[in-house]
Order: sequence, then C-alpha cells, then structure tokens
Amino acid sequence: MIEVKEVEKKFGRKKILKGVSFTANKGEITCLIGINGVGKTTILNAIMALTPIHKGQILIDGEPLKENTFEKITFIPDAITMLPQMTIAESMEFMHDFYASWNQERATELLSFFKLKPNDRIASLSKGNSAKVNLLLGLALDVDYVLMDEPFSGIDMFSREEIANVFTSHLIENRGVIITTHEVGDIEHLIDKVVLLDDGMVTKEFNAEEARENEGKSVIDVMREVYVR
Amino acid sequence: MNIKLNNRDPVYLQIVRYFKEQIAIGKLEPGEEIPSRRELANRMKVNPNTAQRAYKEMEEQGLIYTERNLPSKITTDQAILGKVREELLVEAVDTFVASVRSINVPVEELLDLVKVKYTSKDEDKEA
Repeated sequence: MIEVKEVEKKFGRKKILKGVSFTANKGEITCLIGINGVGKTTILNAIMALTPIHKGQILIDGEPLKENTFEKITFIPDAITMLPQMTIAESMEFMHDFYASWNQERATELLSFFKLKPNDRIASLSKGNSAKVNLLLGLALDVDYVLMDEPFSGIDMFSREEIANVFTSHLIENRGVIITTHEVGDIEHLIDKVVLLDDGMVTKEFNAEEARENEGKSVIDVMREVYVR
Repeated sequence: MNIKLNNRDPVYLQIVRYFKEQIAIGKLEPGEEIPSRRELANRMKVNPNTAQRAYKEMEEQGLIYTERNLPSKITTDQAILGKVREELLVEAVDTFVASVRSINVPVEELLDLVKVKYTSKDEDKEA
C-alpha cells in the first residue's frame, strides 16, 4: 500500500499541497483527479522522492521512502524521456541496462500488445504511439507500484482505447496503479478508487463501484458535486 | 460480448444482468463454459476486481459454478434457470406497465394492442 499522510509542499512561498492524505492499494487502480495545476504531478514526484516535502509522511508498504524506493515503484511521466533519435529497441536496451527490474519478456509482450515496431525512431512516432512506448518502458519493469502521469492526455481516441486495454489485461495484474488525470470519461469503469483534489487538499476519496451501488452516482456525478458549486 | 454499460448502476450488477439475459435468450446454455474473470474484464473493458465481484455474485446466486481449477460454467439447475427467465420477464412487464399506466388506457384495449404488436413483430422476424 502507498500511504500519503498530511503531505505539505511549498514552491517558494506558495503552498501547493496543503496536507494531502490518501492511500493506494496493491491490485487496485487509484485515480487522482484534479483541475490542472492542482499538484497532481507534484504528488507523484513526492512519492518517488524526486521532490522534498515540507511536512507529512509517505509510506510504501508501511516503510518510509528510501534510496531504493524506485525498485518498488515506477514513475511513467506524461511524455517520453528518451532521445528522439533513438529507436524503440534502443530505448528498451537503455532501460534494460539501467534497471535491474527490467523484464525483457514483458517488454516484448507489450511491444506486440501495442503493435509497435522496434526499429521505429522515437522522433517519427505519432503522439499515440509515443505514449504507448512511454508506457511500455515503465510497465516492463517488475515493480509492485506504477505511477502514471496523465497517460491519456492529448492522444487520439483509438490510442486511448488501446492504452485502456492494458488496465484490464494481465500486464497490470496485482500491481498498485496510481493514475493522474483531469478527464475520467473513458476510464470510469476501469478504476477502483477515486481521489479528488482541490486547492491543495483531498476533497473526497471514494470507491467508484460503491458510489454507484450506494448512491446511484457516477464518478462524474460525484465530481460535479465537488467541483461545480 | 456486446455489453453497453451505464455509469450509474454498479458495474458488477450490470454484468450479472448481462449473463442473465444471455441465459434467458439461450445464447448461454446450461453447463456452458464462460470466460475467465481476466478475459471477461478484458472483453467488457471493466476493472478486473469488478469482474471478480460479478462472478462471486453469480456464484452466490447459483447462476454459475466453478470446480477446482476449471473454468466456471453456467448452472444446469433447471429451477434457477427458470427463475432467471421469469425474473427478466416480470421486470420487462413492470417497466412496460409503468410507462403505459400514465396513458390511462383500458386494459382490454391495451392487451389487444399488445397481441397485435407482439405477433406482428414475430412475423417480421421470420420474413
């Protein structure tokens, strides 16, 4: 389990996170939702210990962040970080050399899952395919938790569908996933838990299926109550 | 697996209902193997935990059964299968009655119309 407890973060004098708390379980997909600029990416960075926090605590399976936390969690940024002149195969080799947790078998499977051609250069890829390579590189690591920053942002509808298919496949099975997004429309049926952020705080944390079962509300219904006042 | 999910009903119950419909219309037969939970999640584009919950619910209702390490199967229990058909029928009639009630039509007139429509629809299909 990833536990984020009362986390505060300032940039200069501006407080971005004002005591954020939520949990994300293994085997579940947790969706962090908030209007842009609310600090979603900052939260992911904090979980990866890429940015210091000023107050609060983050625990991974009950333990505080350590230098080797990246062996348990992978962070997939919102855009690919490989050099544009590299081919997909070269990016995969780079990851293989850099991470002990790289799983070549899964990487190969993801390659065919996304119908990608290993000799294509990163620079030549469409936005959708570039997002898929980005996802492939992160998902091929054998880690318990996967953080994805806006995996559906700015890509075409069919690529979004293909990416969404990953979430219902064995490629994700048993891992804990945190996704940030500002748009849940096409993944509403895929997520377990929803964490709504507003003004640096968690305004609501709920299970999507429970909201439907107990209140007859869709995720968007609950969002409307929180964000549109 | 052509299922259209709505956003406000629990997804696991929508899946259970889909299976009941398939059983009632004979698309799924008694004793027939059904997809694994993972496969179902994948085909219906739903969360695997939700698919798991739907299967658990169907097992509790006796709609499916699972023998050790084998794929789950549709029940062969005629009593349960008969109940599924009846349940869906009663539900459909309830919806129908609720929507025509406000029109205030005498029941005989309504039944005559139902007879005409129901049988002509059958002929259309056969033609």
